[in-house]
Amino acid sequence: MTRPSVRESRDAASDVPRGERPRSLRRLAPPAMILAGALVIVGLSFLLPPFRNYQLATVGAYFCVTGGLTVLTGLNGQLSLGHGALMATGAYTFALAQNRWLSLPVSLVAAIVVTTVAGLVIGLAAARLRGPYLAGLTLAVAVVVPSVTSTFDEIFNSDQGLSVALDPPPGTIPVEQWQAWLCWAGALLSTSLLAVLVRGRFGRDLRAVRDDETAARLAGVDVARTQVAAFVVSAACAGLSGALFAVLAQSVSPGAFPLTLSLFLLMAIVIGGLGSLAGALGGAFLLVALPTLAQAVAEGTGSPRLEGNLALVIFGVVLVVVMLAAPGGLASIRFRRRRTS
Amino acid sequence: MATDDVATDHVATDHVATDHVATDHRPDELGLHHISVRFGGLTALDDVSLRVAPGRIVGVIGPNGAGKTTLFNIVSGFVTPSEGSLTLGGRPWRPRPHHLNRLGIARTLQGVGQFNGMTVLENVMVGVRGRHAESEAWTALERCGVTRFAGDRPGALPYAVRKRVELARALAARPRILMLDEPAGGLDADEIRWLAGLIKDVGITVLLVEHHMDLVMSVCDEILVLDFGKPIALGTPAEISADPRVTEAYLGTAA
Repeated sequence: MTRPSVRESRDAASDVPRGERPRSLRRLAPPAMILAGALVIVGLSFLLPPFRNYQLATVGAYFCVTGGLTVLTGLNGQLSLGHGALMATGAYTFALAQNRWLSLPVSLVAAIVVTTVAGLVIGLAAARLRGPYLAGLTLAVAVVVPSVTSTFDEIFNSDQGLSVALDPPPGTIPVEQWQAWLCWAGALLSTSLLAVLVRGRFGRDLRAVRDDETAARLAGVDVARTQVAAFVVSAACAGLSGALFAVLAQSVSPGAFPLTLSLFLLMAIVIGGLGSLAGALGGAFLLVALPTLAQAVAEGTGSPRLEGNLALVIFGVVLVVVMLAAPGGLASIRFRRRRTS
Repeated sequence: MATDDVATDHVATDHVATDHVATDHRPDELGLHHISVRFGGLTALDDVSLRVAPGRIVGVIGPNGAGKTTLFNIVSGFVTPSEGSLTLGGRPWRPRPHHLNRLGIARTLQGVGQFNGMTVLENVMVGVRGRHAESEAWTALERCGVTRFAGDRPGALPYAVRKRVELARALAARPRILMLDEPAGGLDADEIRWLAGLIKDVGITVLLVEHHMDLVMSVCDEILVLDFGKPIALGTPAEISADPRVTEAYLGTAA
């Protein structure tokens, strides 16, 4: 008896969802996504005023880290409260490298490499921990890393931080527009790589480990290695993000990477949609938009003291509302609408 | 050299070949030699020996707490025996859970161990290494009659379908040894008949832990009976059903 071919059996199963695109189209998706994204960003950057371009650049820088955190927490189930510290690692490495060699590509690579190594070390420890113990470890990282700058103040210049030497933008391009291009180039490249990674075997292994470690082991997944790999990938993204923030601020200081940054990042990916790169983009947008909204509200009420705390309050309220209305985050609302249409 | 390395060295890594019977050199014979397991003062397994010959279907039965799942956990590498050793293909072997798949050993879990954040197709693909993961997964889904659920999340499916999906994941890697831990639990008579047919037709070594006696008696070539961790009988289904020690273990009275 001849067995029906895979395609025949698929066709015979009439109610198999047909949402999957052909493999050739799926392969084309990441480059197409980069190209479309780049065109939109370049177009927008010509239309927006300088401050909005700066905000656009900030969204791009945040998108790098929220994308990586989505892989770690959303897809692999490892909670990190220390990604702000990993960003600080990337930012300081970038600043030191840039001040020494004044080469943007070299400094960016150095920031990614050093943060990746830091992520590997944390990941090796994290792979042995679960739940609150893992959260405690990453929280300790978030607390310890900024204090390192005070301990080794000859290198990191303590609370004052370091200024970052940068070449002027090429030609007559305004600084903010150049920053937007740079940050979004990093964001699009890193998230496209993440998209390719999570679509394949690595992505399935990540989610398998998140959903059932025992079943994943029996299916041949090396749980510890997968968890460490997730941390490494996520740390690399955080390092890039930190470096881009150093480009944006043209300086780095421990005050730019407080513990609340790590909490904001976590809230952002939960609100955006845990486990979805589109949700990571939504989260990055919120990280820029909500403080701006808080500032506007505080200015409206004439209370400068309110301004410092209102962003956290607004983030908390948005988190509660989104979790009540759409537990899967903003990305799940988009998905549900598409399915019902 | 570690003993598990000895076992993995001779294993072919390309196990997605279409004609796997002709090219597959992965071992399909399993041996447990004087295995004992103690958890503190509790002896979960006491001097258990068993040889599962290639292509044979061997059942492990016993009352609750007899040590059946502990025996599976030993073979899966989740529990290290206090005494005794294991062999795979006649060679000393120290199992590790995530190496089983590569060695051609698949195991299902009691209940359903599934990845609810993935579709059924992705669930099955997790069990397959190599470039042909998707086609192998479709083949396994087809074999278990669940292709039409390929795009669904397992959590939303009936229990019997989820059991089939778990079987599909185990079969997708084209194992040489299949370990089934209470596969009939929670299934109705029709599903159990289908399962019996699958086990008989699968054509590979099967180690089966099950409480459903009709299933065990109808599919197994050989049955090991455990009681409080001790092996009390080993034989064909006819021999086991006639053994008074087995009746006593199950009913608590002498036959």
